[in-house]
Amino acid sequence: MKIQTTRFGEVEVDGNRVIKFPKGLLGFPQYQDYVLIESANPENPGEQSNFWWLQSVDLPELAFVVTDPTLFVSTYKVPIHAEQMLGLGLSAIEDAQVFVIVNKREHVLTGNLQGPLVVNVGSRRGEQLVLSDRRFTTRVPLVELRPAVAKSAAPVRQAVPA
Amino acid sequence: MLVLSRQRDETIMIGDQVEITVVDIRGDKVRLGINAPRTIQVHRKEVYEAIQRENAESAHIQIDDLTGADRHVRHKQRPA
Repeated sequence: MKIQTTRFGEVEVDGNRVIKFPKGLLGFPQYQDYVLIESANPENPGEQSNFWWLQSVDLPELAFVVTDPTLFVSTYKVPIHAEQMLGLGLSAIEDAQVFVIVNKREHVLTGNLQGPLVVNVGSRRGEQLVLSDRRFTTRVPLVELRPAVAKSAAPVRQAVPA
Repeated sequence: MLVLSRQRDETIMIGDQVEITVVDIRGDKVRLGINAPRTIQVHRKEVYEAIQRENAESAHIQIDDLTGADRHVRHKQRPA
């Protein structure tokens, strides 16, 4: 199937790869169908990117960047109740893939670890959960994208505010 | 909005499965105890709203915003 996107133009996707969020994402209940598009990794074209676009099938401009939070925060775990597994049709926890939505603030990519997306990779159904664990906020810094420096400059450690 | 007065240790019921009890009142702080089936998610509203807000802001991200992102992740340890 072909979908229209504002960022990638017309994209051909396999209809079987559509991920359905029956409740939508928080604030976007009317958009339930998404596809994952791998982010381009221009510096290492052969290498998989750590970031994916979660692109709405129905609204061309609606897309989020998602990533695997455990790449950045090794202690991160999403508690899933038996009832929530049932709702996602999960029979085994291994079938669950957790993503977090990524945003950019100044030069930092942040992850919304308080509202993770849990996807049943078998049935391709997903849900955005709300965690009550206050250690994980909606804006956890993941990556600092340092502004470009002069080419002659040696790599310099950024000063960290005390 | 339905407004009810309750004293400490008194409860209201919502449907036949959700109970909300006033556990403690101190100054302008009220502690509530909630009994509900696990299928009903209970959250502080501000957390729910923060995630909604973050989703809305995150939807503005553009391709250029990821420039160099993978380069900075690459040296991080991938989980086994």
